[in-house]
Amino acid sequence: MIRKITFRGNYSLSPKLFRVDPVEYLNSHAMKVARFLFPFLAAPLAISAQEVSPSSGSMFTSQQTEFFESKIRPALIKHCYKCHAEEGDKVKGGLLLDTRASTQSGGDSGPAVVPFDLAQSLLITAIRYDDSSLEMPPKYKLDAEIIADFEKWIEMGAPDPRERRKSSGAPEEYTSTIDIEEGRKHWAYQVPAKPTTPTEFTENEWVRDPIDAFVRARQEEAGFDAPGEADARTILRRLHFDLVGLPPAAEELTRFISSYESDPDAAVAAVVDQLLETEQFGERWGRRWLDVARYGESSGKETNATFPHAWRYRDYVIDSFNEDKPFNQFITEQLAGDLLDAENKEDAAENIIATGFLALGTKGLNEQNARQFRFDLVDEQIDTTTQAFLGTTAACARCHDHKFDPIPMSDYYSLAGIFLSSDTLFGTAEALQNRKATELINLPASLAGGSASKSVGELIDLEMQVDMLQERLNELNVEARTARREGDNERATQIRQQTLGLRNRVGINRRILDSYGDSGNAIPVAMGMKDRPEPFDAQILIRGEEDNPTEARAPRGFLEVIETNDEEPITSKESGRLQMAHWITSPENPLTARVFVNRVWTWMFGEGIVRSVDNFGTTGEAPTHPELLDYLAVRFHELDWSVKDLVREIATSGTYRMSSEHNKVAFEKDPENMHLWRFNKRRLDAEAIRDATLAVSGELDPERPNGSLVSQAGDGFVGRNIQELQLNAPTDVRSVYLPIVRGLVPESLALFDFADPSLLSGKREITTVPSQALYMMNSDFVIQNAEAMARELAGELNLRGGPLVVEAFQRCYSRPPTAEEGRKTKAFIDRFLATAEESGIEQERARILALTSFCQSLISSAEFRYLN
Amino acid sequence: MTTRRSFLQSTGSGFGYLAFSALSALAAQRVGAAATNPLAPKTSHFPAKAKRVIFLAMQGAPSHVDTFDYKPQLTKDHGKDARGFAKLLGSPFEFSQHGGSGLPISELFPHVAGHADDLCLINSMHTDLPNHPQATTQMHTGNFQFVRPSLGAWTLYGLGTENDSLPGFITLAPPNGAQNYGSAFLPAIYQGTPIGRQARNRFVTKDKQAAVSNLSNPRLDRDLQRVQLDYVKSLNMEKLKHDKHNPEVEGIIESYELAFRMQDELPDVLDIAEEPKSIRKLYGLDQGNNNFARQCLSARRLAEAGVRFIQINHGNWDHHRNLVNGLRQNCGEIDKPIAGLLADLKQRDMLKDTLVIWAGEFGRTPHGQSTNGRDHNNKGYSLWMAGGGVKGGLRYGSTDEHGYQAVENKVHIHDWHATILHLLGLNHDQLTYRYAGRDFRLTDVHGNVVKDIVA
Repeated sequence: MIRKITFRGNYSLSPKLFRVDPVEYLNSHAMKVARFLFPFLAAPLAISAQEVSPSSGSMFTSQQTEFFESKIRPALIKHCYKCHAEEGDKVKGGLLLDTRASTQSGGDSGPAVVPFDLAQSLLITAIRYDDSSLEMPPKYKLDAEIIADFEKWIEMGAPDPRERRKSSGAPEEYTSTIDIEEGRKHWAYQVPAKPTTPTEFTENEWVRDPIDAFVRARQEEAGFDAPGEADARTILRRLHFDLVGLPPAAEELTRFISSYESDPDAAVAAVVDQLLETEQFGERWGRRWLDVARYGESSGKETNATFPHAWRYRDYVIDSFNEDKPFNQFITEQLAGDLLDAENKEDAAENIIATGFLALGTKGLNEQNARQFRFDLVDEQIDTTTQAFLGTTAACARCHDHKFDPIPMSDYYSLAGIFLSSDTLFGTAEALQNRKATELINLPASLAGGSASKSVGELIDLEMQVDMLQERLNELNVEARTARREGDNERATQIRQQTLGLRNRVGINRRILDSYGDSGNAIPVAMGMKDRPEPFDAQILIRGEEDNPTEARAPRGFLEVIETNDEEPITSKESGRLQMAHWITSPENPLTARVFVNRVWTWMFGEGIVRSVDNFGTTGEAPTHPELLDYLAVRFHELDWSVKDLVREIATSGTYRMSSEHNKVAFEKDPENMHLWRFNKRRLDAEAIRDATLAVSGELDPERPNGSLVSQAGDGFVGRNIQELQLNAPTDVRSVYLPIVRGLVPESLALFDFADPSLLSGKREITTVPSQALYMMNSDFVIQNAEAMARELAGELNLRGGPLVVEAFQRCYSRPPTAEEGRKTKAFIDRFLATAEESGIEQERARILALTSFCQSLISSAEFRYLN
Repeated sequence: MTTRRSFLQSTGSGFGYLAFSALSALAAQRVGAAATNPLAPKTSHFPAKAKRVIFLAMQGAPSHVDTFDYKPQLTKDHGKDARGFAKLLGSPFEFSQHGGSGLPISELFPHVAGHADDLCLINSMHTDLPNHPQATTQMHTGNFQFVRPSLGAWTLYGLGTENDSLPGFITLAPPNGAQNYGSAFLPAIYQGTPIGRQARNRFVTKDKQAAVSNLSNPRLDRDLQRVQLDYVKSLNMEKLKHDKHNPEVEGIIESYELAFRMQDELPDVLDIAEEPKSIRKLYGLDQGNNNFARQCLSARRLAEAGVRFIQINHGNWDHHRNLVNGLRQNCGEIDKPIAGLLADLKQRDMLKDTLVIWAGEFGRTPHGQSTNGRDHNNKGYSLWMAGGGVKGGLRYGSTDEHGYQAVENKVHIHDWHATILHLLGLNHDQLTYRYAGRDFRLTDVHGNVVKDIVA
């Protein structure tokens, strides 16, 4: 028996109402449940990737264009242009139907045509005569056949080749004004050759290897004395924070100091080897790459939809650094992993996850114009790819030839063709503010994880909710139509408003339902890339205007200024991403290795050899040590792109052990330390400050969490169904695992200059502002960790007096207190207890407060967050 | 003269604030007895017209020909070819004259237009590059190539502040780019303190909840916290002694002291809930949750409390497309709050010595980018200033007939900076800071004060 549940009258849509007995529900909704239990009956997941193609003339098949030309254009001209074309009698309702752009952006009432979406396309409402206030053409209703043609047209994505109005004349032409040959002379476009290592020095005590020779040669040339060496403790702190982002434990320090005394080189080499083998290395270095990859777990901008599967890319990056994956392979996987051969399902999955690099950028999901959205998305990919790997700002050439670098617009559109010939699958929930959702890529079941599973009951509840919301929506739509027919436009608008929220809930819940398998397990999926079946070359767009293409197409390809002899042709069947990756990783590409070794140098020295780390173009800075840069770039090739080997060579150099001591004469001469006359003093970055705080208090949870708080929260929109509190729940995992939602970076990171996850960032800024001080003084995080540290020292370790103070200093600063500090600490405790007594705080509590306050003071001090 | 080192040694445990100014002979002369606090008010070079600045920074470059640069010829020539590759786009917005001065202002700013007689429009601005990041940095620091102190930091360095329990330079909901409110080589205490973040599109979530967190300690009272902070300070002093020269550590020491004082002061200052209904209405706060209105009202409260330099930020002015609706929306968000701010300052008799500035990093082209957008234009654009000793009701300088480039009485960023400092009683040639053996200035070796706009 099928019993239909309907709700009438006023009722709340609170989820509680839907807690119906599943058995009863099964009986009553047999059909719907059947759909749920037998997924092959289910509605297609969001929209399929193919359909997401932008509604562009150049991007549609010839059949689609033919359909438009034979069915749609004649109907528009015959029935609509009189009032809705620039050349018509007059323009009514602000609506022009004579170009694709104006048709989609619509008139006063909203978008006339929304590709793939009949319900949202007002043109359909109007020609169907569904809404008495909006019946078009006004004097007669179109034949059913024509209406059906329009419906079919919109369902196929509203292919529409009409770029510009005829009156605008012939398409404009593009001619480049850039002299590529001249541009090639810039230093960064010369292939690096291994320079001769300098050998003659007046002072050469710490010159151990070529790196030191280049550094010392530059110092001597400019007349700087050779700096001294840092002490063992300073070196160990550098190594620990740079390689794994955590302070050394006290026993490690003791061991290191004694082995350093007998053989410094061996001692350093041993620690470096040991640290490179820890899981923490990948967490530290992976996070640095995530800055460059502008990693974020939501779309950002106004809509800010969550990316609940982005964490897979995060873990992939960390694992890649830990496996010491050759960096050229790492690049290739991120750009074209989906096109690589793999030995097994797991490797194939990893390759796909890698392409999340291209999919997880910020997106303006509420962009109405599908074509514009597509171009913006591709622009973001071009910008990220060229800056991340080539230190080049090619995105400038979207609207005109690059103003400073030898990059013509044709280069930009050569790259654009590659990305336009690929589909970017980033998921997200459908909603009013997001019509751009895509499917995701299925992964093998063995990779399940990240999301909380749901019980079958929960899923049935959810399914019911969707059905009922949908039913209510239908009712409201009928009511709205009735109201309009009765001339009550105000009420109609009111009802429409009500439907908005309901529709979003339907969209979000549908997405959630789609993410789960029958048994309630989350289906493992990834964000990533896929080649389109019909790759094509992009038209050059005049001034970057999507509705202003030239006749000319830029053949898919790379930047002309960087020619390599091993370039592979892009066939008509391929997007060209794989060839692009090979071009980037070619040994003849002058930029890739230079850019990356410079990043590594920046991460270990605080400043790059080229200080504008993401810009090696003519507006960037010249290298302070050009020969050293080239040496490292060539060396990186020789090391087969091994990041660990490169780090090892730098970390075991004499240069890395230089003292950071101030030298007045040198400072006056070179305050920016361009000659590297000393080691830079560096503030720890946000993650290291937070992780060190957890480490010294004994609270650090070293385990990698399953997914992320964002994957636990699931699909939705930040500030709507996903709340800040949910994302910022306290956790003691390493900072790299905190949820990185765009616009909602956790305070512990944001306050200390965490990189904006919306933008690629090779180097962070350093600020010193009172809000950081307030955080150290008053935040729950710092206070709770300080208390944990105090309780551990005094309770579990049962330390008192001097030994407690020594242990605390060791943990925080890797050194015992000086005599002066010892005295000051004692005076502080005494004064604190006396003041507490005055305030009437009982003794035991006062003691804990004092110890907590002591530990908090160490964590808050400058030494805790600065490396010498 | 006391050197920083000897001062540190002579004062023993007390922190040598003079350390900051010791590097600059001029500063040392002027600060005199107040030297123990780098935020203490300093006398200006000559009597100042403006005591403080409220800088309304419009990120993304607002179109001048649609707002404050009336170009009738552009309207007439709409659709004609421009520069061989594009078509002129007449402003889709009406301009009309306002006030006794008859300043032409676009329909986009009906409320601001009500203050026409207080506005000094500069229609002949120009800057070096038509790229957002560089131009934004140049607007804030005078230099897009190197890291240099920001306008606010220079102001604070030159004048100190009137309330040392608040940062002397506050920037509300700033976009990315700490350099734009940074202090570079000036002591860190002169850096702008950001309150709220633009990325969150949120300045204050609720009336009572300030955008600054961690403003009170859940466990320690002020006395106990003072004991703790004295200890932190002694640890930091030890490090400073050991490092010999470390401005970052000095900055941290300062920031703790300021933070300690801010705990008492800031919550009240930022609590706009205590403002009467009439005032909230004046700023348009009765019309929903207007983030920008909150910023404007907070700016007035901060100004009243003695903050020297307050910056308010508003984004999304980069109208390559969607010019009509985009401008309408943006101007709709800021028009009433700005008018409210001007009216409120005036009724408190604060406008006369508060310099209010409205500016973006550059302007936009008179020719269209498609039919509903404009491209970047650094060759000519507009900004306005009000109060603080500028002539009201003045339209200074001009662009060509279409608004493409500044042609008459051109004002470069350096000139504008020199003029702002002049209004604050500071000579831009003399406001220097010695760093690495050289005296640096906000205006480098450039800048002419635009005397014609000074009242």
